[in-house]
Amino acid sequence: MQNRHVTLSALLVGAAAVAMTSGSFAANETVTIAGFGGNLQKDLRATLWQPAADKAGLSIAEETHDGLAAVRVQVQSGSPTWDLVHLGSDDCAVGGKEGLFEPLDYKVISTDGFDKRGYGEHWIATNSYSVVLAWRTDVYKDKAPQSWKDLWDTEKFPGRRALSTYPQEMLEVALMADGVAKDELYPLDSKRAFRSLDKIKSKVAVWWSSGAQSSQLIKDGEVDMMAIWGSRVASVIADGAPVSYTYQDAILGYGCLAILKGAPHAKAAQALVAGVVSPEIQARIPEMMPYYGPTNSLAFKVGKFSPEVLARSNMSPENVKKQVFLDANWWRDNTNLVREDYSLLMAN
Amino acid sequence: MGAGKVSIRHVHKAYGAFKALDGISLDIQPGEFLTLLGPSGSGKTTLLNVIAGFERPDSGSLMVDEVEFITRPPHKRDLGMVFQNYALFPHMDVFDNVAYPLKLRGIDRASIRRRVTGALETVHMDKLAARRIGELSGGQRQRVALARAIVFEPKILLMDEPLSALDKNLREHMQMELKRLHNRLGMTTVYVTHDQQEALTMSDRIAVLDRGRVIQLDTPQNIYDHPNCKFVAGFMGETRFLPVERRESSYHLDDRSLRLASEPPHCDANGWLIVRPERLRWAGDAQRDNRIAGKVMDIVYRGDSHLVSVSLAGDHEISIRHTGSEGKELPVPGQDLELWLTPEASVVVGDAIQ
Amino acid sequence: MTVMVQEVKPAILNNSLLQRSRSLQGISFVGLSLPAAVLVAAVLIIPFSWLAWLSLFDAAGNLSAENYVRLLRPAYIESFLTTFKVAGLVTAICVLLGYPVAYLLSQLPQRAAQLLMVFVILPFWTSVLVRTYAWLVLLQRQGIINQWLLSSGLISEPLPLVHNMTGTVIGMVHVMLPFLILPLYAAMKAIDPVLLRAAANCGASPAQAFRQVFLPLSLSGLSAGIALTFVLCLGFYLTPALLGGGRVAMWSTQIADMVAKFANWGAASALSVVLLVVTGGILWGVNRFMRVPDAWGGKR
Repeated sequence: MQNRHVTLSALLVGAAAVAMTSGSFAANETVTIAGFGGNLQKDLRATLWQPAADKAGLSIAEETHDGLAAVRVQVQSGSPTWDLVHLGSDDCAVGGKEGLFEPLDYKVISTDGFDKRGYGEHWIATNSYSVVLAWRTDVYKDKAPQSWKDLWDTEKFPGRRALSTYPQEMLEVALMADGVAKDELYPLDSKRAFRSLDKIKSKVAVWWSSGAQSSQLIKDGEVDMMAIWGSRVASVIADGAPVSYTYQDAILGYGCLAILKGAPHAKAAQALVAGVVSPEIQARIPEMMPYYGPTNSLAFKVGKFSPEVLARSNMSPENVKKQVFLDANWWRDNTNLVREDYSLLMAN
Repeated sequence: MGAGKVSIRHVHKAYGAFKALDGISLDIQPGEFLTLLGPSGSGKTTLLNVIAGFERPDSGSLMVDEVEFITRPPHKRDLGMVFQNYALFPHMDVFDNVAYPLKLRGIDRASIRRRVTGALETVHMDKLAARRIGELSGGQRQRVALARAIVFEPKILLMDEPLSALDKNLREHMQMELKRLHNRLGMTTVYVTHDQQEALTMSDRIAVLDRGRVIQLDTPQNIYDHPNCKFVAGFMGETRFLPVERRESSYHLDDRSLRLASEPPHCDANGWLIVRPERLRWAGDAQRDNRIAGKVMDIVYRGDSHLVSVSLAGDHEISIRHTGSEGKELPVPGQDLELWLTPEASVVVGDAIQ
Repeated sequence: MTVMVQEVKPAILNNSLLQRSRSLQGISFVGLSLPAAVLVAAVLIIPFSWLAWLSLFDAAGNLSAENYVRLLRPAYIESFLTTFKVAGLVTAICVLLGYPVAYLLSQLPQRAAQLLMVFVILPFWTSVLVRTYAWLVLLQRQGIINQWLLSSGLISEPLPLVHNMTGTVIGMVHVMLPFLILPLYAAMKAIDPVLLRAAANCGASPAQAFRQVFLPLSLSGLSAGIALTFVLCLGFYLTPALLGGGRVAMWSTQIADMVAKFANWGAASALSVVLLVVTGGILWGVNRFMRVPDAWGGKR
């Protein structure tokens, strides 16, 4: 039984390979996408995946996963049942390096309008988020902080701080607070980043570990100033909390799509990815998923947006200039070591 | 010792509507072995707990050697006590159990060793001093509990049905040992039991309790031979009662006047003639003794004797032993039989004391 | 003579009959325990073996001790010590709070004890997540306790009750208390109250009777409760993660991060194996050195 299954799968993979080399895919093929599930996946499908599938004449099926480990299991089985996987940026980079993914066909997929850090050989960013500086307006009133430097300046801006328990983005924040220009961040000088973090850690009241927790902290006034996801702080402000934030020097991170090695419908998946990152479909994000931004800046050329939407969206031409793109490749190579030092830093 | 006198006066204790102790007054003499005897619920254990200090009565007085004890906490009373299920400390071995009262009294190690050994020798447990409690038999635990209660030489020893958990042979053996020990140590002993045989065997005096009151307080002999009411008589021996009718100054059984050696106590109206198997005679003097006529119902072999059940007029039943030394043949069921009671053995009691 | 023969024959027959029935009994006993044995193998032995196996390979899939060597780095040693510190502290506080409660429960009349027991067990019926968030509402800077203390003028600055070790310990004690109280209560309930009367009769004041009789007899339940609480604390994740403010780096947090954030199964397995071995060692030690009769003191 087991053997027959494997043989069958091998045949299917072979067939897929044949289909790939022939450079075409059948109309109405069904491409399977695995995401983190929940409301995010629902929104991603409605905003990006379904219109892209319709454009390419494909059907899509959905699965959920709980991270890169599940992707490894799929690929190592030799016959993955998923074609595409939606992950966090550094997971895409790690997976690419581990050889879990097919290379993307940039003859099919256009990167016009993308930041050079927004795509790699095996993956491409599909939706972006920003880690921003947020503060309580009732605490700082008209003397609002402007930059990460102010987050570190406990004399001019007294009060309780919060940073994330995960080092990603926090090291960038620490370096900019220490005076590193945003276009000179990478490769990160992690030693300098930790020296910088040492200066602020006594004022860090909470190291937050989930998005819900982070928004609760600033909403309840548990902290006065923090690094937080832009989407989270926007919802806190919408709830009427006296909170404000700035895109100045914010870190742009993203979610990404990659095609699993040996995916049964790899060719169709390439076409689907091309649709997802196209300016037309990316332009749907500011309206339909306002807590994320598009990754293709051309979206703002093809779409028509109200000034309010433009002011809010992290990728609007005005806002994107203030920010810096996360380098997924640096994190791919350094996460483990940095993580240990960071955990020590928090504990002491 | 000359001390160890207990005076109990008007002690009341109620649990809701239930009167556990209903005005008990009692004097226990120094060195006396006094047994509190009664059925369950009669208040005997409650009274013992009042003496030990585990129960605080609602009212009344408890004097020990002329000192008021009624509010004194139990650990300051210096009374030895043997509990019903021994209450030995399972986390201590035999030696430590017995040494515990001495340790609490701050006695030096050498004296403790000497006195514990002495107490264990007294109860023949000195060889098992290092045993754990879980490794002892019921009888051995009994002895350890006794040693623990006497090791600090209390003036008064309290025992709450100490032998009830032992089998019959061991119980009878321990009764004798306890009695000898009491004779030797001479401490005032208050002993609770529901076993009349035990009470008769061991006591100097017995207080028979019922529903929280002392019904009769007397020597075992008097309690047995001259119970002051039907309740006490019924509690002693294999007692059967035959109704007697009072006519002026005499009592009649089946229209025949009873010859009595003594006037019945507390018996103003009709009473009961006490009939116990060992008091009945196979032969008697029609002029002097009382005659009881009946019909043999059945005969049960008891080893040392036969027990002959006899039915009387008015649906009453009595029994008599036949040991073979009576000079009379063993009767057969259905046979008419005449039995005899001497005036001394004929005791009439009333329903209850007034 | 014939009588003798007749008696011997059935006796021999019975012997073989009895033997067969005995072995049948044995077989059915094995048969009955088979599902349990399979279950234990399926949910315990196999996953653990798999875990131990995984921990022997590095990220590239090569056989190596890397996952264990890594654990000697300061971050993990620190986390290991923190884990034991938290578990020890929580257990100690649980003992201080739980012993009197268990004692009270064991001395109360049955009906009152049952009612109070409901309050002890109540935390079992609500999710740990809900309880932990409830503590956040109570303890945070603008939480109920601080607001009350501020408005009553007892303090001028909010107390740092949460997002630190204090909050973690408070939250964990709340979760763990029933685990200490229940075995302790069972042990105390088994102590014959007459023993305390006997102690008093021997001349022990209530305090002495408690210390010399009740306490030693309750030690078996106490050590069971301590072992249970301590071991559960070692593996605690949710409460330290939510109430620790990122400062309380428990071993379990490291495991969760390794899997959830960094998908490093080998490293996570090594962490788990170490925790499991240490936990097993503690349980063995408790069993070995705190055996019930020895816990009862007395002469050896």
